[in-house]
Amino acid sequence: MSDTAPLVKIEGLHKSYGGVVKVLQGLDIEMKAGDRVVVIGPSGGGKSTLLRVLMGLEQIDRGSVGFGGKPYICANGNGKTTIDAKVRRSIGMVFQHYTLFPHLDVIGNLILAPMKVRGEKKAEAEARAMALLTRFGLAQKAKAYPAQLSGGQKQRVAIARALMLDPKLMLFDEVTSALDPELVAEVEQVILQLAQQQMPMVIVTHDMWFAKNIASRVIFCAGGVVVEDGPPEQVLGSPKEERTREFIERVFHIKH
Amino acid sequence: MTFDFAIVLKFQHALLLGLWTTLKLTLICILLGCILGFLVALARTSKNAILRGPSSVYVEFFRGTPVLVQLFWIFFCLPLVLGVELSNMASGVIALTLYMGAISSETFRASLKSVGREQLDACVALGLSPWARTANVVLPQAVLRAAPTLLSNCISLFKESALVSAVGMADLMFVGQNISNNTARPIEVLTAVALIYFVIAFPLTRAVTVIEQRILKRLAV
Ligand SMILES: Nc1ncnc2c1ncn2[C@@H]1O[C@H](COP(=O)(O)OP(=O)(O)O)[C@@H](O)[C@H]1O
Ligand SMILES: [Mg+2]
Repeated sequence: MSDTAPLVKIEGLHKSYGGVVKVLQGLDIEMKAGDRVVVIGPSGGGKSTLLRVLMGLEQIDRGSVGFGGKPYICANGNGKTTIDAKVRRSIGMVFQHYTLFPHLDVIGNLILAPMKVRGEKKAEAEARAMALLTRFGLAQKAKAYPAQLSGGQKQRVAIARALMLDPKLMLFDEVTSALDPELVAEVEQVILQLAQQQMPMVIVTHDMWFAKNIASRVIFCAGGVVVEDGPPEQVLGSPKEERTREFIERVFHIKH
Repeated sequence: MTFDFAIVLKFQHALLLGLWTTLKLTLICILLGCILGFLVALARTSKNAILRGPSSVYVEFFRGTPVLVQLFWIFFCLPLVLGVELSNMASGVIALTLYMGAISSETFRASLKSVGREQLDACVALGLSPWARTANVVLPQAVLRAAPTLLSNCISLFKESALVSAVGMADLMFVGQNISNNTARPIEVLTAVALIYFVIAFPLTRAVTVIEQRILKRLAV
């Protein structure tokens, strides 16, 4: 794959829930390997749905998603969606709500997928897990259970768990919105650290500071379509579209 | 009226034999009933209507009829229907296993449901196969969550097992009744029988509370 070929290519993506709630209505997005895309938009606008589609968690009505130049998700027209499971394995996601496995300790959460999906040996997986946890300042928590962790720690563990599979793309869906304000920074720091290592990512956030600092590109989604798409200075700083401007003023309390 | 509890000691051997029959019956039916209950719970939550229908009928039927009637039916009618002789023990095991299967399947069903959609999404996002998902995420959480109620189900079974005395199985209740009839000392003997049941069931009911708290602490995310 050359540097200029898109990593993700979304074409004419339509997605509804039960055919009634039309959420995504013809989305076209191309993402380069170096992109860190921040998606903003009104609540209920389909941001989570977009990420869930990219993660291969949802059926789609129409359109397709390519990944690394290969077909990944495709609507077949007969209501069925084809999802390439191998491509899906190279994408990681962290959710808004905590999704750690409560019956496993932190290290158990990290090594489950590498062992079951890639057949990695336990000792090997544990060594990699410890290295990751150390990097995230969580080494002392390796044997703790999720219920014994703070919200910020849980999300950092969830990020580490996804990274164990060496993803080529990371999806973050409002990973700090369930957190107490004082815990937000520790999670954002970890994601910023990943950004420095050139991890391609799509991030949904309502945190203006974070969006400005992490985005190479900002997409404003509303009503199931892309309203505005551009560099953060433009979309966040001087939006062209009236709807974007209104949204940013309302959510981020910024007057232009 | 004077009480002579020494009479209980005189028959202690017979009572212990009865208790042994009760325990044996209960333990066998717990084991078989839990396996049956888990499979039935899977069947009832499956998408396949052919699995769902009969399993639902079975559970609702056994939950909606008295255990005593079930016992009588299996002791007296089942041999006629099947055309084979069934020993007392075999009939007892069949009847109480079916009863345990029905009540434990409801316990398993509730705990299977309690494993949220988020957990399944996380499994897919991590690339876990449907098999790995069930074996490593759904099943362990379901069993943990089911544990307290399952133990309550076991205690119920242990107590309900006294009903087999009505069809002539020599369990603790049956032996106690016999001794009480023969000695005309119902107060002493039946009180002793009650105490034996209680001494076994009570610590288990306490254990339910302790396990509940532990599991809540562990699984509350
Ligand atoms: N599983 C679902 N079933 C039905 N409707 C859904 C489901 N998930 C989301 N929706 C609806 O789809 C719309 C978009 O939701 P979502 O993607 O979560 O938006 P956002 O993340 O931007 O707030 C909302 O109207 C929401 O109610
Ligand atoms: Mg959302």
